[in-house]
Amino acid sequence: MALTFRGGLVMNEHKNTHGVQIERMPSPEKVVIPMSQHIGAPASPVVKAGDIVARGQIIGEIKGGLGCPVHASVSGRVKAISQIMLPTGRQSQAVEIESDGLDTDYEGLMPFSKRLGEATSEEIIDIVRAAGISGMGGATFPAYAKIQSAIGKAERLIVNCAECEPYITANHRLLLEDPAAVVNGAKILLKALSLRHADIAVTDNKMDAVRRLDKMLKGSELFEVTVLKTKYPQGDERQLILAITKQELPAGKLPADVGCVIFNAETCAAIFKAFQTGMPLIERIVTVDGDCVKTPKNVRVPIGTSFGDVLEYCGGTKKRISRLISGGPMMGTAVWDLSSPVMKGTSGILAFSDRAVRPYDQAPACIHCGRCLSVCPMHLMPTALASYSKIGRYDICAEYDAMSCVECGSCAYVCPGAVPITSYIRVAKDNLRAKAAAEKAAAEREKAVMAERQAAESRSESDKDKKEGKEGEK
Amino acid sequence: MSEEKLENTSAEEAKTAALTAAPEAPAAKPDKPESTAKAEKKPDKPEKPAPLLTVTSSPHIRAADTSRSIMIDVLIALAPALIWAVYLFGFRALTMTLVSVLSCVAFELIYELIMRRPVTVLDCSACVTGVLLAFNLPAAAPLWLPVAGAFFAIVIVKQLFGGIGKNIVNPTLAARVFLFSWTSEMTTFTVPFAKLSPSAMTAELEADAVASATPMIALNAGSVPQESLLEMFLGIRPGVIGEVSVLLLLVGGIYLLIRKVITWHIPVAYILTVGVLSLLTAPAGNAIDYTLYQVMGGGIILGAVYMATDYTTSPVNNIARLIFGVGCGLLTFFIRRYGGYSEGVSFSILIMNLLVYYLDKFTRPKPYGKLRQNNPPKEAKGNG
Repeated sequence: MALTFRGGLVMNEHKNTHGVQIERMPSPEKVVIPMSQHIGAPASPVVKAGDIVARGQIIGEIKGGLGCPVHASVSGRVKAISQIMLPTGRQSQAVEIESDGLDTDYEGLMPFSKRLGEATSEEIIDIVRAAGISGMGGATFPAYAKIQSAIGKAERLIVNCAECEPYITANHRLLLEDPAAVVNGAKILLKALSLRHADIAVTDNKMDAVRRLDKMLKGSELFEVTVLKTKYPQGDERQLILAITKQELPAGKLPADVGCVIFNAETCAAIFKAFQTGMPLIERIVTVDGDCVKTPKNVRVPIGTSFGDVLEYCGGTKKRISRLISGGPMMGTAVWDLSSPVMKGTSGILAFSDRAVRPYDQAPACIHCGRCLSVCPMHLMPTALASYSKIGRYDICAEYDAMSCVECGSCAYVCPGAVPITSYIRVAKDNLRAKAAAEKAAAEREKAVMAERQAAESRSESDKDKKEGKEGEK
Repeated sequence: MSEEKLENTSAEEAKTAALTAAPEAPAAKPDKPESTAKAEKKPDKPEKPAPLLTVTSSPHIRAADTSRSIMIDVLIALAPALIWAVYLFGFRALTMTLVSVLSCVAFELIYELIMRRPVTVLDCSACVTGVLLAFNLPAAAPLWLPVAGAFFAIVIVKQLFGGIGKNIVNPTLAARVFLFSWTSEMTTFTVPFAKLSPSAMTAELEADAVASATPMIALNAGSVPQESLLEMFLGIRPGVIGEVSVLLLLVGGIYLLIRKVITWHIPVAYILTVGVLSLLTAPAGNAIDYTLYQVMGGGIILGAVYMATDYTTSPVNNIARLIFGVGCGLLTFFIRRYGGYSEGVSFSILIMNLLVYYLDKFTRPKPYGKLRQNNPPKEAKGNG
């Protein structure tokens, strides 16, 4: 019996590329590598225009705080350091590198020389940090920080191979073609966390991968292959924890608080690679699909390659693109420009025509069918949230737990009334966040004013004292 | 149409406006004109930057179901019962249905044109209202009756409250109750196999084409209906157009369940409640027969499967749906048993309609990762 959670979507998954072997894309003529590809502070460039860099050489480093260093993904000459806008709408510095086509590796790269048994947690964390590895499932949380925060708290490691987004098959192919990398990466994580148990969580649409893993891990005490029911959004950490441990992750808590730490399969493979070859995270597997793409593929792409180049590598497009999505179709970001670069969190490039996106052709009207409630994995009332958000009653949205929404998009996906429910909830959340921030700022201002007043009072009192003292002297 | 666009953008504005307005910087970089031009299929002007693509907030794909496809499913589910009615009562039943559907659609269109609202007749919800309204009328009723009913259902009950999804009570049933103002027209039932011509009128009915009593009237008068249980089940009995064939109504209901248009909660709770209460209070004699007559008689099946499950006027939570169904069953039972009417389906559903907001509110699911809350969210007040 496959494990699962309550709610969620059983949908047409369009996993068209699940049988297509991963291809390595040759280095493009030019890459644009953003300095901010992850949660945390952006990296600052340590190269300048005209520098010659090699594959794996550091080009952006973190000066304190949470973040990941960034490395050159091709060898060649730094053309410029420019300011670009990321698909999320944020500005970021980016290093443009013109490839020399040689793909020479940086000589400073060293495989980890010790045996894993002798490695300490600190060593492992240092390597993961230096390799610039961030979560590759989409949230892009720096991996070293996750390890740090989970040490001593986590009791089990979950390797997330649910890959619940439609179309995306990058993890599936990775498990089929290089399961050893994933498993070895997980072993390194187990060592770093001093744990003895890892669940490899795979949904039952990847039974071929499950069989491979089972065969490979026969007799292993460290690993257990956990089969989950194929349902969206099973890959969300909350639903993963619920399905595997049968307990909910309380609102506002981290997985480590309930004894879990979750790493994406490709993140594990990247960690293993950093240990095996010393090569930092400079490329990733991207599923290229969508009805506009001529030959959908899984491609290993150097970070910083433009979407246009990747599409061209896949035979170009056969229809007019209506939406170009970075990531999956449910939670991915629409990009406006083919020059957008592939980043550490880009699991897919999907080019859809109007037919696939089905733009809304009816006036949005909730017909109260309740489908959004039955699919909501967070058990909210999306219809109520959308209605109250629409009329600006964000206070009521808060009471209906708008902040618990994970924006998985299931509600808007099923809505027959064409209500962009997820977007309405986002608006409510943004407003609530802004309000909370404003209140906090106001409270702090008030505190500052009070402190000042107190200081002034005590000053004037002491003045008085002095005066009185003087008078007394007289 | 412009309003539709407004609707769509209003929510996504926050996310997309910034994106669509600002990004001249990345767009104005004609670094790779050939490749972008090729990918975009714009080979005529390769030196110009590629046009910006549309951005929207996620999710970027949608399920196939739309309001229209759901309404069409309901129409498909109702079709067998309509065909049976035509066979049983003659083509007059079809005339009634057509008049009802056309006037519902016409009133919706006219209202929306006059009020300059987006025209929504294509969502087929007015068609469903029209068919269900006709299903609630006797086959030989005068043709102005469905027109009056359509006006009340569409304009008064639905559009004046804001159109699709906004009405508080079921338009069809409210119209039916409204039409009870003409009691004799509403209660002159045709005997089965009367073969009424498409244009037959109540007044012209031969005396032998008029049924003395429906099974429900007989049952409430304390006598056993003259129809056998099998005839009740198959639908060989007098009654309004759509309520007669239990079998075909259930077939349509199963279709709706398979297509996931409705859930089982309301119909099962409704029918079981009436059944259990009838069984418990059955007069001496054959309690099972009495119960089956109660459940199949009148409009319970039509009401429970097609009316009480109307999305807009029923709860969205499954637990609330169960309560709603039980409430409908209780009210139907009490109206039939202790009230002056032999039939209580319309009233009970209408009364329960009024409670939907509260049922939903008090049965709110516990959000993931939250402790169970004892106090439900505050009511919407003020500028809502």
